[in-house]
Amino acid sequence: MKDKIKNIILPVSFGILIIALWEGGVIHKVLDFKPFQLPIPSQIIKTLGKNFEKATLDTVTTVNGAMVGLVIGCLIGFLVAVIATQFPKWGYTGLTVIATFNAIPIVALSPIMNRWFESGFGQKVGVVSVVCMGAMAINAYRGLNDLKPFARDLMESYAATGKEVFFKLRLPNCLPSIFTAIKINVPAALMAAMISEYFAASTSGLGFGVKDNLRKGMMAMGWSYIVMASLVGIILYLLIILVERKAIKWHASQR
Amino acid sequence: MQTAAETTEASGELDKLTLQLKWLPQSQFMGYYVAAEKGYYEEEGIDIEILPGGSDIIPEQNVYNGVANIGVTWVSSLMTYQAQGYELQEIAQVFQKSGLLLVSKKDTGISTAADLTGKKVGNWFGGNEYEILALLEKYKLDKNSDLELVQQDYTMDQVKEGSIDAASAMTYNEFGLLLESGIAKEDLNVIDMNEEGVAMMEDCLFVNSEWAAENEDLIVRFLRASIKGWADASADPKAAGEIVYNVDKSVSLEHQVYMAEEVAKLVVPEGFDPANIGFIDMAAIQQTADYLALYNKDLASTPVVDDTTFTAKYWEEATK
Repeated sequence: MKDKIKNIILPVSFGILIIALWEGGVIHKVLDFKPFQLPIPSQIIKTLGKNFEKATLDTVTTVNGAMVGLVIGCLIGFLVAVIATQFPKWGYTGLTVIATFNAIPIVALSPIMNRWFESGFGQKVGVVSVVCMGAMAINAYRGLNDLKPFARDLMESYAATGKEVFFKLRLPNCLPSIFTAIKINVPAALMAAMISEYFAASTSGLGFGVKDNLRKGMMAMGWSYIVMASLVGIILYLLIILVERKAIKWHASQR
Repeated sequence: MQTAAETTEASGELDKLTLQLKWLPQSQFMGYYVAAEKGYYEEEGIDIEILPGGSDIIPEQNVYNGVANIGVTWVSSLMTYQAQGYELQEIAQVFQKSGLLLVSKKDTGISTAADLTGKKVGNWFGGNEYEILALLEKYKLDKNSDLELVQQDYTMDQVKEGSIDAASAMTYNEFGLLLESGIAKEDLNVIDMNEEGVAMMEDCLFVNSEWAAENEDLIVRFLRASIKGWADASADPKAAGEIVYNVDKSVSLEHQVYMAEEVAKLVVPEGFDPANIGFIDMAAIQQTADYLALYNKDLASTPVVDDTTFTAKYWEEATK
């Protein structure tokens, strides 16, 4: 218990220290920045307060696209893992193909996919889906196949059908890997959605807010979008951890 | 004040100077390329390096940080930076008119700005959008509810494909691209910012105020050579387009020459004395500032228009 408290207090106080140094102008002195190059936290918060309504709308736009893309990408990734497991002969090729998607840089993908879809929403969902497929496919495949030694032998000795092996052994065994993939994919989805907005036609969203305001030298406004993006990222990550705790209480990592 | 010959003689070598363009090497900047090609900078004792711009290169930041000494940007964009506290000042106004148009295919039915209701209207944003916002305001159109503002890329494909109804286009670049792609002028509707009375000043030269104070003579020499280059280029745009084409062949010679001809009309408009190239019309600057304050509500402070932010003293010295 004592360790747990220490694990929270140390990083939090470090964060507060950094913000205090930033606010107090120490960082600016050390790096020779002017306040208009790196706005101080209080100014960022003030700017965010003034623009809160629009910033919230932009955040919702981005998060919507990121989440829909995340769900689609994860579903496709999982499906590929299942196919690769059940039909290893040819299914494994699909897994390899999907895994290579992971190597495509989003900055290369976005401008191309933006031409396929007319709406900003479709563009975001497309990019995010592709980005999320790989991590889910690889992790889920591992979870479906790294079974406890003899577990499968035992099932087979009971004359369990392939369907039973899948639903009673492979699927539960796969859950922790699915959560690992989702934890990787949540920040990746947000990032992909924002980068897609850099190139998209639409003029809403966190990505556009950051890019457009930084281009115009309106740093405090740009930073207020960065703050929103970080908050959303942290909140989503915490949500996933909470769900994970409930869903796989039995797993060693949760004890 | 030393003359160019004396300076060169005294130091025995040329002063290095970097110029940051707002965009890719093209006839939009022909005056500088002509001056470099014809040796006007050397005559003034300057070893010029011209840095191309791009979508992620911000001239204001590069000049402020010292990556470049002198920059080319739009006045409205420069003012946004000045209002945040960047100590930058304009030293010459190269384009005397706005080159921005809002172009649509005739079949979209946009014959005046009032017809933009419910349409998709494109711009590049990042500080290029204020004239469009001013136009919408003039026609009492709400930019959020009456129409959809979209980001356009640097081709005109979105107009051709129909995913944008009305797109921003510079007279000297994108409008030419549309014509070159085979769309007839008669099939296009054009809204001109100058005619609508919402023009803001565009390409200008600016410097870091602190750097300027230590390099006054160098700035005057740079302006003298550049103005000479612009005068030649505007008098013979065809030759200027060829010079630019030889520097950068990313677009066709025809397009560079077309651009040179259109740019010449902005640098030396009808009735404008070529001896006055680079003249800063403070009334036009003030109008730009007024519109900017109206249409960028998030600006840190009202744009300041005085001789700390827009100074004609170098230009006056160079054109003596």
